[in-house]
Amino acid sequence: MDNLPLDLVIPEKGLAAIRGILDGNPDVLAYSERIRFGAMVSNFAQTTGIRLTAVAPEKESRVCPALPGRIKQGDADPAGFVKPGHVVLPLTIAAGLNLKIGDDVVLVATNKEGSVNGITFKLSGVSENIMGPQGKDGYIHLNDARSLLRIEDGEITEIAVKLRDFKRLGKVYPALKKSIAALPGGKAEAGSGGKPGGGFETHSWEELSPFSSIAKIVTLLILVVRLVLVFIVLVSILNVMMMSVYERIGEIGTIASIGTPPSKILALFLVEGLSLGLFSGLLGSLAGAGILLLLQAVKLKFTFGAMDLVLAPAVPLAEMLLSLAVVVIISTLASLQPALKASRMEPVEALRHV
Amino acid sequence: MSLVKLENARKDYITGEVATTALKGIDLSIEAGRFISFVGPSGSGKTTLLNLIGCLDRPTSGKVFVADAEVSAMDRKTSARFRGENIGFIFQNFNLIPVLTVYENVEYPLIMVQNVPPEERRRRVTEMLDKVGMADQAHKYPAQLSGGQKQRVAVARALAPRPRLVLADEPTANLDHATAYKVIGLMHAMKKEFDTTFIFATHDQKIVGEAELIYTIEDGLITETRENAAAGGVK
Repeated sequence: MDNLPLDLVIPEKGLAAIRGILDGNPDVLAYSERIRFGAMVSNFAQTTGIRLTAVAPEKESRVCPALPGRIKQGDADPAGFVKPGHVVLPLTIAAGLNLKIGDDVVLVATNKEGSVNGITFKLSGVSENIMGPQGKDGYIHLNDARSLLRIEDGEITEIAVKLRDFKRLGKVYPALKKSIAALPGGKAEAGSGGKPGGGFETHSWEELSPFSSIAKIVTLLILVVRLVLVFIVLVSILNVMMMSVYERIGEIGTIASIGTPPSKILALFLVEGLSLGLFSGLLGSLAGAGILLLLQAVKLKFTFGAMDLVLAPAVPLAEMLLSLAVVVIISTLASLQPALKASRMEPVEALRHV
Repeated sequence: MSLVKLENARKDYITGEVATTALKGIDLSIEAGRFISFVGPSGSGKTTLLNLIGCLDRPTSGKVFVADAEVSAMDRKTSARFRGENIGFIFQNFNLIPVLTVYENVEYPLIMVQNVPPEERRRRVTEMLDKVGMADQAHKYPAQLSGGQKQRVAVARALAPRPRLVLADEPTANLDHATAYKVIGLMHAMKKEFDTTFIFATHDQKIVGEAELIYTIEDGLITETRENAAAGGVK
């Protein structure tokens, strides 16, 4: 991603069509057009690599409202945190190149034809390091990027979209993806005669985030832990119910001899297992909810890198109910074998255990 | 008319390769409304005979009829239903359910076996506990009762479903003599009250004397049948 291929762009015509789709979608709150590319930054004595995002600041601030807040030195006005002729650099690069607000730097980049261009910019802001593997993101104005890369038409490389309601992502994302894929243009238009869906890609934040794979691994680990817990519940209930049957062989013989049908004996032990799962599950859920509420009330604070974090865990009610349902079902299933054993006992054999 | 009828009923137990014959072809006919005792030494076959009549076990060969139904040919489900409707049991070790109160123990067969409606159930349980003199102990658990009291509760439980036949295997074996006589007296009174047929197995000669008809069983065979005109004298 550091050196994005600049021939993979959204051309002006395609951009207009995409704007039409986004403007007509009531779920879209804002969108920001960007040119993202790799460049070199120099203080005239030292040079280093940087990943630049060229934006229209007022649009970018609507899509990423937290971004201006991350600019710790210099101009952080949301409507104009990066003005034409100015650059915002990350703290690591600014500190590494001994740059102060107002200093001149040269940005050098290669355009899609392969020619190199350099322009002098004034440092207007220094952003904090963002957690993650990158930390080398700088910002310039969209018009400056077109000059630096000698882009004559209005082409861009990406559009970031923000929805009004994040919870509707699951429904809006596939619809947008489908609409945009149906557009002619992009790389396909240039290379393959403008077949629909050939050029534009749409991705959710999860697909682009470097934390997405980590989140997936964590989800997988949680699934494994859940499976282990399910196994523990299964074995525990099975053990308890087997003991329950063995300890009550005499009683089973008694109730069978006085006429209790095998189906009712089976039901008695299944209900016992179900109750065991239901009440222990309820107790566990209540205890877990209590601990969560306690943690939310205490608001434990800790620092991770440059971030001050507050531990305020939450578990959705549906998740708790699902866990409870799993425990109840597993408990009932674990009771099945001991219950069948009890219901199949011959009364005369069972009575001998008295 | 016979309530219980056995035709050449034989029972063999096979342990490994060794076969033991507990009953060697019993022919027996018992009329309804009698107070009967099976007497004999340990291992003579009394309990096996009671198990066959109570459809808790099946004969190796021969047939067993109770109330005109061939119980020896019934499957487990049918025999359970038949027992619940027609036969009450009184055990040597009382066999009350320890986690249920006296009231609940007597109520159990009415709920779980006969599905008697709540009002009728309450009436019958209260009546039976009154009859056996345990109404004031209804809330107690079996562990809080003496042996005699437990057996009185067991009698109430056996009679609450209104069975045609009550089988009692050594009902007085775990009781002292005075209590044993009281329990037998109670069973006799209940037999008169409800016109229920009682068959009990014992090896206690004094208790045997309370039966109207005595079958002596030895080595898997009925060796003597004796009417006892002096039966029912206990108070």
